[in-house]
Amino acid sequence: MRIEKCYFCSGPVYPGHGVMFVRNDCKSFRFCRSKCHKNFKKKRNPRKTRWTKAFRKANGKELTVDNALEFEKRRNIPVKYNRAVWDKTVEAMKRVEEIKRKRQARFIMNRLKKCKQLEKEEAINEVKKNIQLIRAPHAGKAKQLEDKMVQKLQEDVDMVDENL
Amino acid sequence: MALYNFKKIMVVPTAKDFIDITLSKTQRKTPTVVHKHYQIHRIRHFYMRKVKFTQQNYHDRLSQILTDFPKLDDIHPFYADLMNVLYDKDHYKLALGQINIAKNLIDNVAKDYVRLMKYGDSLYRCKQLKRAALGRMCTILKRQKSSLEYLEQVRQHLSRLPSIDPNTRTLLLCGYPNVGKSSFINKVTRADVDVQPYAFTTKSLFVGHMDYRYLRWQVVDTPGILDHPLENRNTIEMQAITALAHLRAAILYVMDVSEQCGHNLQQQLELFNSIRPLFANKPLIIVANKCDVKKITELTEENQKIFADLTAEGIPVIETSTLTEEGVMQVKTEACDRLLAHRVDNKMKGKKVHDVLNRLHLAMPAKRDEKERPPFIPEGALTRKKAMEVDAPKRKTERDLEMEMGDDYILDLQKYWDLMNEEEKSDIVPEVWEGHNIADYIDPEIMKKLELLEQEEELKEKAGEYDSDEESEDEEMQEIRVLAKQIREKKQVMVAISREKDVHGPRMPRTTTRVERAKLEKEMGSLGLDMNNKDDSHYAQNARRSRSVTKKRKREASVVPTSKTRSQSASRPPRDQSGVRDPAMAKKAKRMMKHSQKDMNRQGKKGEADRHVYDLKPKHLFSGKRTQGTNDRR
Repeated sequence: MRIEKCYFCSGPVYPGHGVMFVRNDCKSFRFCRSKCHKNFKKKRNPRKTRWTKAFRKANGKELTVDNALEFEKRRNIPVKYNRAVWDKTVEAMKRVEEIKRKRQARFIMNRLKKCKQLEKEEAINEVKKNIQLIRAPHAGKAKQLEDKMVQKLQEDVDMVDENL
Repeated sequence: MALYNFKKIMVVPTAKDFIDITLSKTQRKTPTVVHKHYQIHRIRHFYMRKVKFTQQNYHDRLSQILTDFPKLDDIHPFYADLMNVLYDKDHYKLALGQINIAKNLIDNVAKDYVRLMKYGDSLYRCKQLKRAALGRMCTILKRQKSSLEYLEQVRQHLSRLPSIDPNTRTLLLCGYPNVGKSSFINKVTRADVDVQPYAFTTKSLFVGHMDYRYLRWQVVDTPGILDHPLENRNTIEMQAITALAHLRAAILYVMDVSEQCGHNLQQQLELFNSIRPLFANKPLIIVANKCDVKKITELTEENQKIFADLTAEGIPVIETSTLTEEGVMQVKTEACDRLLAHRVDNKMKGKKVHDVLNRLHLAMPAKRDEKERPPFIPEGALTRKKAMEVDAPKRKTERDLEMEMGDDYILDLQKYWDLMNEEEKSDIVPEVWEGHNIADYIDPEIMKKLELLEQEEELKEKAGEYDSDEESEDEEMQEIRVLAKQIREKKQVMVAISREKDVHGPRMPRTTTRVERAKLEKEMGSLGLDMNNKDDSHYAQNARRSRSVTKKRKREASVVPTSKTRSQSASRPPRDQSGVRDPAMAKKAKRMMKHSQKDMNRQGKKGEADRHVYDLKPKHLFSGKRTQGTNDRR
């Protein structure tokens, strides 16, 4: 019993799910759901269909070359069961999975970081151009002028007082 | 082979069926339309065709029956004799003869009537002639009813006869009823013959096949024979006698030592002597069966003498027990060997052998040096050969285990696995973990690789790759972000308002729209200007100065009519009060009315009959990306 990979979206195909198509040249294709199957029949290229893993890996949206990804490989020679080996393998698998996830997350975060800089610049531009929508240009100016006048008057009065 | 055709005989229909089939065929396959005004030759041709067609059909079918059934003179005498025993040669030949006569009669009838038809001068006459012809043919056939029935039964029985090849190696079992012939054949071959305690359980010949020395052998089981002269024998016994007479086989005469079959040894010996002439030129073995009950050594003196005599004459006597299986293999090998020797002898005596022998030449290679080079036979072959001869008990199979344990049996194929450690055979092997196949990760060097990976990971952590970097922004930047957000919101609101305006008709310039004071003050206030105490501002003064709009004259309330006009009389109560006993009932009626309208109102319907669908393709169900999920609600 194996969990296969869908040819189109590279998702897991669990036993009892999906469809397998065998072509006349003896190449077999597995699909996880009818969405992938129908896209395949429409002759769409998975490397150009944006939501598939094949696209994401081919266009650098996801981590491709990494040592943690080398652990999972399809081996063609089966190995006889040996409890010690199996135990070790399961332990190693868990650890490798952790590390893999961390690295993948880090890769995507780095990719998205560049956006922050762009966002900053955009916000600055926006404020520069359209500030008049939320704030009138001379919003607090009347009050300021008044205050200034009052202050000046006060100073004058003081000066007069002093002179006197 | 003659026996092959017995299964291929065409079904013989009953007389009634036969007539029905042929007549309906005539009806369907010949033209059906004819009119009085056709030319006479056309009418004649039409009816002649019908008569000839019917005759042709009968002729074909009957000829096929005659050729299909085997001619007793042409087949192997064993089968000829067997058929005679079972079906009576005379009756058989008579039946076929009758069919032949019927066929000829039908031909003659057809010929006559076709000749007569040539002189038919009207449609009616020709039609009557045709009717007469067909009628006579059918009557002829009706008279053959019993023959046809008999032939059908013969055909059915023939097809079920066992396929005995008279020329190949055969072992023939004979003896009294209930001595153990059928048990023997069940043991030696894969045949499944009925074994019951009453006499004449086996009522006909049965064939089983077995292998010995890489050759196929037939074993023929016969019904038991009783000791009386040939004329008094019934059909069942005659089958056994036929088999004995015609098959060139090794004879296994089965005797019951324990006398459980109901006849003592003396009687069995007498039977043996009376059918002795049939055993001429055939290898013979006496099988002393049921020796688990009584052995020969336990018998009385005179009985033991019988067996001693037989052995002295050169006929091997072998003790067997079909129950415990002792001696069965010995009998088999002995009989087969003797038969083979006999057959080879016969072949050597014949003339054909020399042709073959002349062409054979055994080449012995000349010795190169003195080194001995004996043939190499691997041990496995030797043990297997021994097992074949001795028929050693086979190793215990799963099936035997299953029968032993009954309900407790569990099929456990894992116990045959070839692993390094024996205890791990019953382990449940994990195959999948969290969406990954464990088989993809198995590697002899996985631990080393994991170590390297962990080291890398440490280095990366030290280098600070995994630190979560929160950019500490200064206050200014945060302010700017807040302002930008507000600006965006304001923009969206403006767009929404403009969409809602829904202006039909010519657009007036902005200056014609009146701006209300309150609205202006509110807007400017939200932009941050101080709009209190603006009573004496320019816009407020202008607003006051504009010409006041003349108010409409207030209409006087109309006078209520006092005179009693012919309005609707109050004697007829309104609908919601008629028939209502008391306020409680009125309340309930009102409640029911409102309840029945609730659904309609909720769906925005005008009334009960409003079936209008306002939105056949609501946008929320037909737009958007479809990932995993349904389209009934999105």
